[in-house]
Amino acid sequence: MSAPEHRSGAEYTQRKVVRNDTPPPTRKPSSGASAQNLGFTARLIAWLGHHQLVAVETLLKLLAKPAASLLTWLVIAIALTLPGGLWMAVSNLEQLSGSVQQSGRMSVYLKPELSVTAATTLKQRIDQLPGVAKTSLVDADAALAQFRENTGLADVLDMLDGNPLPAVILVEPPLDLSRDALLALQQKLADLAGVESVELDLAWLERLNSLLALAQRIVLILGILLALAILLVVGNTIRLAIAARVDEIRVVKLVGGTNAYVRRPFLYTGLWYGMVGGVLSWILLIICWAVLHGPVAELASLYGSGFELQPLSASAALTLLLVGMGLGWFGAWWSVSRHLDEIEP
Amino acid sequence: MSMVRFEQVSKRYGAAGRDALNGVSFELDRGELAFLTGHSGAGKSTLLKLMMMMERPTRGQLFVDDQNLNKLRASQVPYHRRKVGVVFQNHQLLFDRSVYDNVALPLQIAGYSPVDCARRVRAALDSVGLLQLERRNPIELSGGEQQRVGIARAVVNKPPLLLADEPTGNLDPELSAEIMDLFVRFQQVGVTVLIATHDIALIERMGKRRLILDHGRMMGDTHVSA
Repeated sequence: MSAPEHRSGAEYTQRKVVRNDTPPPTRKPSSGASAQNLGFTARLIAWLGHHQLVAVETLLKLLAKPAASLLTWLVIAIALTLPGGLWMAVSNLEQLSGSVQQSGRMSVYLKPELSVTAATTLKQRIDQLPGVAKTSLVDADAALAQFRENTGLADVLDMLDGNPLPAVILVEPPLDLSRDALLALQQKLADLAGVESVELDLAWLERLNSLLALAQRIVLILGILLALAILLVVGNTIRLAIAARVDEIRVVKLVGGTNAYVRRPFLYTGLWYGMVGGVLSWILLIICWAVLHGPVAELASLYGSGFELQPLSASAALTLLLVGMGLGWFGAWWSVSRHLDEIEP
Repeated sequence: MSMVRFEQVSKRYGAAGRDALNGVSFELDRGELAFLTGHSGAGKSTLLKLMMMMERPTRGQLFVDDQNLNKLRASQVPYHRRKVGVVFQNHQLLFDRSVYDNVALPLQIAGYSPVDCARRVRAALDSVGLLQLERRNPIELSGGEQQRVGIARAVVNKPPLLLADEPTGNLDPELSAEIMDLFVRFQQVGVTVLIATHDIALIERMGKRRLILDHGRMMGDTHVSA
């Protein structure tokens, strides 16, 4: 990764920090003015002032020379976009599977010996059950007619004596019925006299759900790997920035700069790397959404679904940004704690 | 009480190395100026580094401003260094910023307000006679001027102790005498000064106390008053 140029060293200068109105301490030269002699408030003001100054100056420095940091930004952006985009896709699919899950239509197969009147009575009983929105009876003859029409196996059917098909009652539960309630209803229907079996086709839904769980796991693994990649990239960039400023760090330590003081500009630099990377990643995801949104809606409409690809929500975008900043800061911290102690005057 | 006190201090680099310092004891009173002399490799730099806590002693105790340095934790070292001004032969200036910013660095680190900072930087630059050069980059200055910027930086936060490691090493005799005069002036306002040098001719002319190191041992200590 390219190191940003750190030559002006302006982080350590303090020309424009908060004014301190307390009068300067007057003492004889031999009394040894040092930081301990500054009041707590003055030191707090100076500390906050230095944070503010370093934060602003490191950010301005990065933005002033975008070419130097572009590679690092893009690597962070791509490393965030991959798991971010997959996560967006998975949560969209989850939403889709949720809407499908709600239409748990059941086929209640009746015993062959049941008469049409008995079947009609049974249908009326089912109508009264809680958790049933709509039923329709397909008697054996109608079922045969449908089968003949749909399959083109009319000749085969003609060879059989009698109707092999049972009568069926199609049961539609209300849309908001949960999976557990559907299974309970299925059991209840199967227990009714005259019912041969009840078929509830949840199997493919369960397959989809376990696929989604797997996809989520893969996104998690990918996210962890790419987070490590971000740590390495930021860590390496900061390492080069430290190497470019060894002399300055040595002098700062020699005249009494604490480790925190030396670390501060590098930590802020890492934070800003992560932030810019997060913003770029968010923009990339918006572009991805814009490119995919149309074709997905078209595909869904071909399947008779009104499904639409949802863009990244504001909270998800904020999460992306915060994760980027956190990783940038942590990468810088990791690098600084490894390399800064080696630089002693 | 003394400003600096060494009690049987030894320093060995590496486990099997030769002793750079061997059982060194001496005291410096507050407001005293002394020279530290000896051949190269005699341990002058090591002695100064111990006082700056750039190194820790292998044996013995040393006190600066009544603080036992062996008892300072690593996190307290920066605060100790703010009490000790130090001047190097190669002056250790930063060429990416102005003379003013070089001198202001210790004050910014200690958290002085900009107004206070400006006042003290100008006073320090004035005391070394470089006030008119504050906007310049130190790389444009002569060797003697650079050394004076280094001295201004060492005294800007008015440390009670000022150390100098071969401060005239690269300068001709005339400039060296000027630099030494500066140190004497700081002593006159109450700063304790210890100067490591091999410029014997200059020292003898000044008639100050001399500490003589030889192969890590304190071989001589002259209390001559001017």
